[in-house]
Amino acid sequence: MIQVLLIVHGLLAAALLGAVTHQAFSVGRKAKAPPQGFVERFRGVNSPTFTNAIVLLFFVTFILGSLLYPRYRIDVRPMLEDLQLRAANGIFETKEHFAAVGLGVLPVYWLFWRPPLKLEYAVTRRYLTWMLAFVVWWNFLTGEVLNNIRGLFP
Amino acid sequence: MTQYAQFKIFSLLFGAAYVALFFYSERTGYALFRYYPVLGRFYRDSQPIETAGPPILWYSWLAGAAVVSLVASLVVPRRLADRVPHDWIWLVNAAVLLVIIVYERRWFY
Repeated sequence: MIQVLLIVHGLLAAALLGAVTHQAFSVGRKAKAPPQGFVERFRGVNSPTFTNAIVLLFFVTFILGSLLYPRYRIDVRPMLEDLQLRAANGIFETKEHFAAVGLGVLPVYWLFWRPPLKLEYAVTRRYLTWMLAFVVWWNFLTGEVLNNIRGLFP
Repeated sequence: MTQYAQFKIFSLLFGAAYVALFFYSERTGYALFRYYPVLGRFYRDSQPIETAGPPILWYSWLAGAAVVSLVASLVVPRRLADRVPHDWIWLVNAAVLLVIIVYERRWFY
């Protein structure tokens, strides 16, 4: 059961990563019309359509992560301590804190992305999106490193 | 925006309340409750590590932050909430992230 949860958690996190990265790129700079090249096309998405999916994916991924946490505390953390991988413990600590901050930002992130998008909120919208993207990227990479830590640090 | 102005108060306070509860726990060892994964149960008080295993305090910081920010968002009048500058929300949360990074660098030495 725990393996299924872990895989679903990882898959949802990958979907979230894709969605939030699209949106984070799209708020950076206005795409040229018509978009030219991969980066322009990646950026030239209809950003608001990602919002509800990002909120839902973040929330569900967070809940699954919360359910997986006790297993991490019992099985993984003691192993990291035995192997004296302090930094690995540390990045997990930041992961749990960042996830909490991201969760708290979700309501207002959703609010500022509600259509019609007002120009006066553009800066707030951009920084909230970048902050969420940073949290998602950090937590995704941390999760991947910890999940594969025995292979990475044999 | 006025219709959902309370969301601003919630998001403004959640991260700050979470990190405040975390630091309070770090300093005093106090938590609203603890989850002991070995026993699979929540307890108000600390249990002996030999029999109960390590506790998880993270759930208590989340629950505490949720209660604080939810109550504040319901208590603060909507017109006042609407007047909160938009930039405060991401600035406060960015500051919280920065404080966490600075504090948690202790693991990397």
